[in-house]
Amino acid sequence: MIRVGGKEHPWREGLTVAELLAELGRAEDTPVVRVNDTFVSRPRFGATRIPDGAEVFLIPMIAGG
Amino acid sequence: MSAPRLEPRLSFPYRRPAVERGYTRQTLHVDLSRPAVAVKPVPPEMERIFIGGKGFDLWLLWQAVTPQTRWDDPENEICIACGPLGGTPSYPGSGKSIAATISPLTGTVIDSNVGGYFGPFLKFAGFDALEVQGLSAEEVVIVVDGIEEQVTLYGAEGLPEDAYALTAYLTERFAKGRPRDVSVVSTGPAARHTRFGCLNFSWYDPKRKRARYKQAGRGGIGTVLAHKRVRALVARTDSSVTIDTNAPADRERLKQVSRLHSREIVELDPKQNEMSVIGTTHLVTIMNDHDLLPTHNFRFGSHREAENLGQAVFRRLFDPGFDGCWMGCTVACSHGVRDFVPLTGPYRGTPVFVDGPEYETIAGLGSLLGIFDPHTVIEMNFYCDAYGLDTISVGTATAFAMECFELGLIGREATGGLELRFGNRAAALELIHQMARGEGFGRIVGEGVRRMKALFAERWGADPRLLADIGMEAKGLEFSEYMTKESLAQQGGYGLALKGPQHDEAWLIFLDMVHNFMPTFEQKAEALHWFPMFRTWFSLCGLCKLPWNDIVPEDNRDTPEPAKVMKHVRWYAEYFSAVTGRESTPEDLIRMSEAVYNFQRIFNLRMGFGRREHDTLPYRAVGPVTDLEYESRAERYDRQLAEIHPGRDIASLATAEKRALLRAHREAQYVRLQDAVYRRRGWTPEGIPTLATVRRLGIDFPEVVALLAAHGVRE
Ligand code: SF4
Repeated sequence: MIRVGGKEHPWREGLTVAELLAELGRAEDTPVVRVNDTFVSRPRFGATRIPDGAEVFLIPMIAGG
Repeated sequence: MSAPRLEPRLSFPYRRPAVERGYTRQTLHVDLSRPAVAVKPVPPEMERIFIGGKGFDLWLLWQAVTPQTRWDDPENEICIACGPLGGTPSYPGSGKSIAATISPLTGTVIDSNVGGYFGPFLKFAGFDALEVQGLSAEEVVIVVDGIEEQVTLYGAEGLPEDAYALTAYLTERFAKGRPRDVSVVSTGPAARHTRFGCLNFSWYDPKRKRARYKQAGRGGIGTVLAHKRVRALVARTDSSVTIDTNAPADRERLKQVSRLHSREIVELDPKQNEMSVIGTTHLVTIMNDHDLLPTHNFRFGSHREAENLGQAVFRRLFDPGFDGCWMGCTVACSHGVRDFVPLTGPYRGTPVFVDGPEYETIAGLGSLLGIFDPHTVIEMNFYCDAYGLDTISVGTATAFAMECFELGLIGREATGGLELRFGNRAAALELIHQMARGEGFGRIVGEGVRRMKALFAERWGADPRLLADIGMEAKGLEFSEYMTKESLAQQGGYGLALKGPQHDEAWLIFLDMVHNFMPTFEQKAEALHWFPMFRTWFSLCGLCKLPWNDIVPEDNRDTPEPAKVMKHVRWYAEYFSAVTGRESTPEDLIRMSEAVYNFQRIFNLRMGFGRREHDTLPYRAVGPVTDLEYESRAERYDRQLAEIHPGRDIASLATAEKRALLRAHREAQYVRLQDAVYRRRGWTPEGIPTLATVRRLGIDFPEVVALLAAHGVRE
């Protein structure tokens, strides 16, 4: 089990950030996520695996800076 | 050195007016040449049109200078103002000061929005704005004491040289046992020898028992302060500030909206960027992953070692604790490093507290120079602040010099023997020390990119066209630290910014590149209208923009215009209405900014800038200048060329030919963007506000109308 934005979400071995966002229907509008203390950006979504028990947050990067 | 001495030269008693609805309705003028002090009333029209903060600065400065005024003329002045909402401790991000002057780098108006307590303390001491004009015959410290109701000009001798030690000394000297009542504005020795001296604004951190600092970095305001021979400005007031100190028109309404925004930040920051823990350092790896982190003088947008400068490292290095640069700011992102031991310079071997670094400093003093060692970045950050240097201009100017050295445009005879290659940490640090001593090649780098370009061509025979392409300045100001090659909208965000390429007007890279929210020219132009206007509004009111869109509501993405974070914009309208009693909608906020924004454009025009020709960019900001850059992203560029020129055999072209094709296309795109933005802003094709625009905004003062007419604008 992992938590996404504070809500529980099922985990499976090898689950990537890209797969998680697809499951959530959030692939299009999410450029950055935080997995525990690590920020991961879209170019690395496919290659980043989420560990069991992780806290995941979808970062709404839009017009900050 | 002799012991520090402060001798009163002039004392000016005054009556501190009650603050009413966010205003004192008077400003303070200090003439250093005579010397003399005067209080000026704020006429209702000034308040209505210019609102406060940067608006007040611009109006006061406009009356102080002439089109011929140079930065070092006595009539140039430094204006510092808060704003009607500034000093509210309940609403996050409400303690900003806005400083403005005629810049030594650009020759026209520069403005800088900065934290620390000075602006609010100045207001609570009795003044909505301060003008410091003239040139002093000796070194002075100006103290505005709202408790004693007295302005005092001190002749100063033997004060500590660097900003950290100077601020610590002055805080102690004027605190009368309550250091939190004091805020100091100062610069350091490098401001005397460079054109990009910064101002350090302090606040006292009771937990760490030390003065902390934020910088008004851009455009050399510290250089102007040093030239005036002002060592420091001190504001003193009772720091027991509450929601009532601004005497808001509707206290309950203010309390409610403050609570909404404050609580939302407390709830959502831990789920989003964690700015209260890591500041803006999360941006480093995010930018790197999107090929947007400038490295090696903006040649490239990523580097395999960038993680060495990322948030994971600063999460460990920052001293944990509350780091709000104004009271009650729940974002609290102004972090620092405790017990840092520099390896060079006067503090070598001595533990110090370093305020920062933020993203811009990490990118400017790190990746941009090919330096990926956090401790070197922290050391450079420390000495830039202590010496009074803008970290962004130092980074961008040093990166330019490094590339010139690597390309053989200048050699060791120019750099005084420094092997000024990318990644040379010792050389980068040495340049900063040279800037402070006013010696060697550091003094030349301290002239800024624009003047280095002219000098390298004239003295060392460097190719001026190549220098123009790789020298990252516009309007004379060094670029801040984002890659813009793949974002036309952000090229506009930099090129069309009034003061030069600083991202505080518009940061559209993600909207444009990552989210593709604005595919057409008209959509880009709309963004380059709305965002600069709304961002300007923060500087009118004394606010920080971070709480607006760095932490956003959870349902924001379901709103019609997520980029604008309209829920927060509505809260800001509510906030403004509650404090000032001037009932305002989000559209009203934009109109307030539009008036000041257009006035600043016209101010530029008056100073000999402010037309299309001044809105141009170095090609490095637009596309690949060299074969090396092109080939590093050849797949991307080849694909784009194939789309632009269907049917043409791109693969058969030499890299130089491909670069030329791409350049012609991208430069034409930028011109089309300029056309669209000028139209949207109500400007002529030359980029000058039309008479109809200035009338609509109520800034059709006779001198404005005459100036427009002198530039052929009569309708
Ligand atoms: S958000 Fe950060 S920079 Fe802005 S006022 Fe708060 S602490 Fe200061």
